[in-house]
Amino acid sequence: MGQDSFTPQKRSSTCGGGGLPTTNNAAAGGGRSRVLAGMPRGRQIHKTFNNIKITILCGFVTILVLRGTIGVGNLGSSEADAVNQNLIEETSRILAEIRSDSDPTDPDEPPETEINPNTTYTLGPKISDWDQQRKVWLSENPEFPNFVNGKARILLVTGSPPNPCDNAIGDHYLLKAIKNKIDYCRLHGVEIVYNMAHLDKELAGYWAKLPLIRRLMLSHPEVEWIWWMDSDAFFTDMVFEIPLSKYDKYNLVVHGYPDLMFEQKSWIALNTGSFLFRNCQWSLDLLDAWAPMGPKGSIREEAGKVLTANLKGRPAFEADDQSALIYLLLSQKEMWMDKVFLENQYYLHGYWAGLVDRYEEMMEKYHPGLGDERWPFVTHFVGCKPCGSYGDYPVERCLRSMQRAFNFADNQVLKLYGFRHRGLLGPNIKRIRNETVTPLEIIDELDIRRSTHEKTETRS
Amino acid sequence: MLDRWLKVRRSRAKIIVLCFVVSVIVLHGTFNPVNPGYSADENQNHQSDAHSKRVESRRLLEEAQNDAAQGDNNDNKNYAEFDIAKILIDEEEGEKEKPDPNKPYSLGPKISDWDQQRSEWLKTNPDFPNFIGPNKPRVLLVTGSSPKPCENPVGDHYLLKSIKNKIDYCRLHGIEIFYNMALLDAEMAGFWAKLPLIRKLLLSHPEIEFLWWMDSDAMFTDMAYELPWERYKDFNMVMHGWNEMVYNDKNWIGLNTGSFLLRNCQWSLDLLDAWAPMGPKGKVREEAGKILTRELKDRPVFEADDQSAIVYLLVKERAKWGEKVYLENAYYLHGYWGILVDRYEEMIENYHPGLGDHRWPLVTHFVGCKPCGKFGDYSVERCLRQMDRAFNFGDNQILQMYGFTHKSLASRRVKRVRNETGNPLEVKDEFGLLHPSFKAVKVSASS
Repeated sequence: MGQDSFTPQKRSSTCGGGGLPTTNNAAAGGGRSRVLAGMPRGRQIHKTFNNIKITILCGFVTILVLRGTIGVGNLGSSEADAVNQNLIEETSRILAEIRSDSDPTDPDEPPETEINPNTTYTLGPKISDWDQQRKVWLSENPEFPNFVNGKARILLVTGSPPNPCDNAIGDHYLLKAIKNKIDYCRLHGVEIVYNMAHLDKELAGYWAKLPLIRRLMLSHPEVEWIWWMDSDAFFTDMVFEIPLSKYDKYNLVVHGYPDLMFEQKSWIALNTGSFLFRNCQWSLDLLDAWAPMGPKGSIREEAGKVLTANLKGRPAFEADDQSALIYLLLSQKEMWMDKVFLENQYYLHGYWAGLVDRYEEMMEKYHPGLGDERWPFVTHFVGCKPCGSYGDYPVERCLRSMQRAFNFADNQVLKLYGFRHRGLLGPNIKRIRNETVTPLEIIDELDIRRSTHEKTETRS
Repeated sequence: MLDRWLKVRRSRAKIIVLCFVVSVIVLHGTFNPVNPGYSADENQNHQSDAHSKRVESRRLLEEAQNDAAQGDNNDNKNYAEFDIAKILIDEEEGEKEKPDPNKPYSLGPKISDWDQQRSEWLKTNPDFPNFIGPNKPRVLLVTGSSPKPCENPVGDHYLLKSIKNKIDYCRLHGIEIFYNMALLDAEMAGFWAKLPLIRKLLLSHPEIEFLWWMDSDAMFTDMAYELPWERYKDFNMVMHGWNEMVYNDKNWIGLNTGSFLLRNCQWSLDLLDAWAPMGPKGKVREEAGKILTRELKDRPVFEADDQSAIVYLLVKERAKWGEKVYLENAYYLHGYWGILVDRYEEMIENYHPGLGDHRWPLVTHFVGCKPCGKFGDYSVERCLRQMDRAFNFGDNQILQMYGFTHKSLASRRVKRVRNETGNPLEVKDEFGLLHPSFKAVKVSASS
């Protein structure tokens, strides 16, 4: 029968249309007029009521179905979605506010003016007797010696901007990088200062390390070496220790190549992403000589042009601390170079691109403690800039490599605890040594701290 | 007549069948999507399970859209468009150790002579003493977070600030830090993850006298306060809490496991073993949660958490554990943020660092804020703004050593408060934090 071939959907739409279902009437035995004509009045009214009831019922059902299909209305479980949506919007708004540079608490601050280019910028009042001052202080404060357990006291300094990165992933890798540094420094008795303040608004950006280093040197005379390390550098050899005795006669240790420096005058002859400064008068003088190209604005721009003109391969951009140091050491070679050690026997700074793909090969053939191309001490992700919006390299390659470097280093830390990462990319770990009731038997072999301590003992 | 009657009945029947079918369709649509009805609680794991599906589907959707839009993504240098989930995958899958459901959970093989093993080791390793000063034990501060990026886009930034804050305090006080990002035992995930980690660290570092667990959402706000170590010489566990609230009221927040000390000794290993059974995820944790809600005062309904479990353990076995547990409330070893953060300006005006208590809290703990997750128990704005203030409040004490301070508690910018001089060593910082007594190295007679 024709009436039976309809589908429920079609049925409900006819209900929703509000019109009386013709099939009902048809089933009831013909058109409306025919039904009404042949029936007593009471039954007519009864029939009408029935039809109205059915109409209302169908209408109700249609609404329910439509709500389920399009999500019309605000009933029941969609409330959680609305809350969800609100939270996401609120977070985004706050995030935008936090990320913006505007400081709502300083409406009255005068606009920052550039410093007068005729006056020479200084990091602070000139000090000429720092070695003497320091020596006196150390003799008066024997409980804060500059050598602890036979090792010179080192302070590792790193940092990042005070505002969130342009993208959340940047902050995540800053976090992983500081965990990596915490691990190395715990194993080697090095203290860390993590800076998140712009101490000098003239020297912002990569130049910010200069006033910071100076300030820390002067406040901590017990520190023998200040080790600056970029936030995008990872320790990848947890066992290797810097051979400080090699640098007894030097005050600045930086990774670099003499031929690139003196013959080619290349702007990447050395790298200021990881270097050591001795706490002494010479270092203060070097910082004073280094700083003048830093003040932002026209000074930095002009200095940038000078550097591009004089250094090989340097692109055109404002003066950066690395190029400025190379230029300084080249132009005042006799004054400084006798105390500068250009280290390349191990990777005090290791450019990541040539290293990260070889980690598996390294794990197979070599062992930690070498610090060089066989097992790099530091893998430095120059150019990746995960805290910004754009890097110099494809994002996937950078992040993948940083994750691999992190896991590669973390494996060396987890080894003491009997674990390692499943692979160099994923976050999960697996057990490589069962728990025992005599845990101390294996500890002495595996604890990196004990093996480096023995080395120090035998040396001294 | 009969025909008509039959026709009426048939039409009625059709209507009934029709309505029945429609009802079934509607009900099917209503009940099949998982009802995300959750209660505002401290169970991060529970929430993450409930929302991971949504997050996952959103990620897949975005990925699909990205792929469609960009074809080959490999040269993309823009961090904003990149989805980290593509990278954080495990290459070696398989051999996931399935625990035997019949064996009761254990943190590891039972050790009974740890005190002896440890004291022998300390004797043969005099260069790694467990006390680094006359009243100063060697302490390891342990904290951590997930190896995956936070769900909330600012979560990682606050984790970074939080660890910087801890680095500063620990550097001043000669404490070492272990930042954990590894899940040692998949059974004990979530807030229970600290138990296997603590045990592992105690057994691997016999030179440590005290292990100090601290949550990632807790910040140091008194940089000058040194813990009163002599007070705890006869105790093995120190938590912030009140005896009456725990033993008399059985209140689930009578103490707080967000910041506590555990001595490296046999007693602690035994305590961890007694604490762990409510932790294994799944049915065990669910059932334990019900017991805890029933037994403890004011506890909401959710799976077992480590804090409620230790309250329950202490209440039930007070004779066994109670005398070695110190419930500290003379200073804020853990300070609930809600009652502290609005008073920072008043504190700065009236008091000074070094007090550690309500006048200048040692720790401000942002319980319930969960900046790393998507949903906390409090408004996002209040939480994040207050975390900024607490961070700056603590950071000011560090910056003043170098002659700077934040422009205000809400500002990231700093200003100079002390000029540079030609005699930097004559300048003393206000609270003596540059060379504090608690950092002094023991001057031995022989050197």
